[in-house]
Amino acid sequence: MKRLRNFFQKESDHSADVARERLKMMISQDRMQRSQPDFLPRLQNELIEVIKRYTQSEQSDIHVSYHSLPQRAQIELNVSWPRNTP
Amino acid sequence: MARVVVVTSGKGGVGKTTSCASIGTALAMHGYRTVLIDFDVGLRNLDLVMGCERRVVYDLINVTTGEAKLSQALIKDKRLDGLYMLPASQTRDKDALTYEGVGEVIDALKEEFDFIICDSPAGIERGAILAMYYADEAIVVSNPEVSSVRDSDRIIGLLDSKTRRAENGETVKTQLLITRYDPERVEHSDMMSMQDIEEILAIPVVGVIPESPAVLRASNQGIPVVHDAPSDAGQAYSDTVARFLGEEKPMRFVELERKGLFSRMFGGRR
Repeated sequence: MKRLRNFFQKESDHSADVARERLKMMISQDRMQRSQPDFLPRLQNELIEVIKRYTQSEQSDIHVSYHSLPQRAQIELNVSWPRNTP
Repeated sequence: MARVVVVTSGKGGVGKTTSCASIGTALAMHGYRTVLIDFDVGLRNLDLVMGCERRVVYDLINVTTGEAKLSQALIKDKRLDGLYMLPASQTRDKDALTYEGVGEVIDALKEEFDFIICDSPAGIERGAILAMYYADEAIVVSNPEVSSVRDSDRIIGLLDSKTRRAENGETVKTQLLITRYDPERVEHSDMMSMQDIEEILAIPVVGVIPESPAVLRASNQGIPVVHDAPSDAGQAYSDTVARFLGEEKPMRFVELERKGLFSRMFGGRR
């Protein structure tokens, strides 16, 4: 019945499904940001600065990610840089 | 033991004040001594929805500053015994309300009432935090609409962190009230369903209020819609409060009503 109606009703494009997916994405992002400490962006910038001083990393080679575990918090630092082949 | 309940939402215009008025009224109908506090400083509206705007003399800020006694500021409902409201100040600046002042008022009200219902202002600023700070329980009002649901999630986060109970390592019992629900649009997949919203926000649904002309009609007249017993919205609010009080009630007005030919031709909207 529902399928039959949808066949005749092209204009209603299941917008509720789109809303639900967008919201799930947005809210999980919001929640992640909310759980992060306020100093994280500053820490991130300073880390990037220091790393760039020693390596030829680009900004995109440096990944700082924050994990909130039940007992403690954790940051994960992933850095890569091009090797200078002599 | 008095229960302090905040009605909140984050987003404005989703039906906090309407819901507050009907929830408080229904609690009083159950025989509970109930007081409604309007926390929306500068944008007082609960008095209008309750139909007692002409009897406002003193307000919440007058009480916290000692200019009026609590008993002078409380307005008794003209329809129900045991129902009172404490209006918000219309003119003063928002910072006039303090945590200590509100705490004292709520402590005093706890002596007299079974339920203290706090009508929160929209937003996530100081006024909204103040309205939820002393709450034991929360009813988060949400429309089946993306921005409203997202803001509700934000408010749920604040209830988990900015309230006195959260500071003491306790939780605020939080339930969801969905308003302006249209089963027909849900059926056509043009509106998120109650199950969708419940899953996203991960809190239990205490009630679903259908989109209904009765709501506007009620606020026009200053009579909480729960008094309109034949209306769908009125019945949905009274079910909501029964559930809030621990009764088991199936959700009504969430399924599409199949209209027969007769009611299509002659049945107007109630």
